[in-house]
Amino acid sequence: MKKAISLITILLLALNLFAQNTTNEIEMADKLYADGRIYVVVAVLATIFAGIIVYLINLDSKISKLEKQIKK
Amino acid sequence: MLKEIKALIEKEIRLELRQKYALSGMILYVFSTIYVCYLSFRLKANEMDKITWNTLFWIILLFTAMNAIAKSFTQERFGRLLYQYTLASPVGIILSKIAYNTLLMLVLALIGFGVYAIIMGNPVEDIGYYLLSIVLGAVGFASTLTMVAGIASKAENSATLMAILSFPIIIPILIMLLKISKNALDGLDRSNSLDEILTLLAIDAIVLVLSVILFPFLWRS
Amino acid sequence: MKKNWYKYLSVIFLGYVIIWGFLGHIPRQPVLHETARNLYFHVPMWFGMFSLLSVSVWNSVQYLRTSNMLYDTKSAEYANSGILFGIVGIMTGSIWARYTWGAWWTNDVKLNGAAVGLLIYFAYIILRGSFNDEQQKARISSIYNIFAVALLIPLLIVLPRIGDSLHPGNGGNPGFKPMDTQHTMRIVFYPACIGWICLGFWITNLRIRLKNLEQIHQENN
Repeated sequence: MKKAISLITILLLALNLFAQNTTNEIEMADKLYADGRIYVVVAVLATIFAGIIVYLINLDSKISKLEKQIKK
Repeated sequence: MLKEIKALIEKEIRLELRQKYALSGMILYVFSTIYVCYLSFRLKANEMDKITWNTLFWIILLFTAMNAIAKSFTQERFGRLLYQYTLASPVGIILSKIAYNTLLMLVLALIGFGVYAIIMGNPVEDIGYYLLSIVLGAVGFASTLTMVAGIASKAENSATLMAILSFPIIIPILIMLLKISKNALDGLDRSNSLDEILTLLAIDAIVLVLSVILFPFLWRS
Repeated sequence: MKKNWYKYLSVIFLGYVIIWGFLGHIPRQPVLHETARNLYFHVPMWFGMFSLLSVSVWNSVQYLRTSNMLYDTKSAEYANSGILFGIVGIMTGSIWARYTWGAWWTNDVKLNGAAVGLLIYFAYIILRGSFNDEQQKARISSIYNIFAVALLIPLLIVLPRIGDSLHPGNGGNPGFKPMDTQHTMRIVFYPACIGWICLGFWITNLRIRLKNLEQIHQENN
């Protein structure tokens, strides 16, 4: 009798644990998104990227000018 | 073409037997390295880990191969040999060098394995397959390293270059060989190693074809 | 515009990736959590490296066929950019691995293949540095480029299929499988690959033009 009760208790506990396996348990950066701080991250990266691209474009135009000079 | 290759191989062998110091130098290299390893590990044979035993053997073979094959292109500094080479076609030259180096590596590898087994003990279960892996290894090392030696010989500090250029390229071959020889060492069923053997043969084929195609460009200078 | 289309494409796509890569939705995965967004940055490095190195090899072949020095300059610069992408790829992969797998470096087939590939190209750079004569440098390095890549291909393609791996999607790892099939990550991933590849080509294009200008400058003085 005791064995049966303990077996049932353990099974019920196990079932309870199964119920917890929802996707909400996987941590993600939800708070970062909720606060709107993610836009800061995107802004920083976009600025860095823009800076690099501007540099590349300048370099490209300098080289093009030199090439045109030499062709003359 | 075949006659030319045969003649060139015979020339290399004859040259080697005349100036015996190169071959005996390499054999001495193998002996000394094995003895140094024996002293450093200072173990009785059955205490050494199988993986260590195997890896050490292949590393010794690898360095021996690098030293032995690097020499095959430096000998042509003598003007007399250069004249002979201008008569032969580059394809014949590279194939004869690869064939000669394969023979050399087979001799060195088998002698090396004999000495290694005696001094460091012989835990190999499937000796036939282990010998097969040694043969495959000798062929693989010889074919890749001959080409790399040719490339390195054209440059300034060819000894260092030979090592740098060959290590990354030899790694796929080495990985395959280690797997096959480890399987033979453990005495596993022979069919386990079929994948690796096929890959090795494929790599050898690729190397041979590439060497034949690329060497003429190398030779022009 | 005909010559520069890929530059505009890279700017547009990469801008989109930076913005939408972080604001967009990704599936919730255990172990990876938010780091899955790394897919848009780490993986395209490898695609970029492959494409740049393939173009480098193609230019080496063209050099051997035509002996036009322009092809040699191109193959060297594409190799340099490929190496840059490879180094960044390994560093980003290492950082990512530290946080998801717990170690900076693991015994994983893809990592080994990447490291060996990079070693081959470092050796290529050293080989180029050890020549004084331009023509010889070009020819020997082209030969090595072709030879090394032909041996690298079995290493990178065959070996990952044989072994187990920590990488998602290989060796029985569930990892990215739901992401592969789900639409949400693909719409950023494909433009990311194209964008990074185009950026790599743009950088290389600038370097090639700069090198050519330097050569003309040297010839005139």
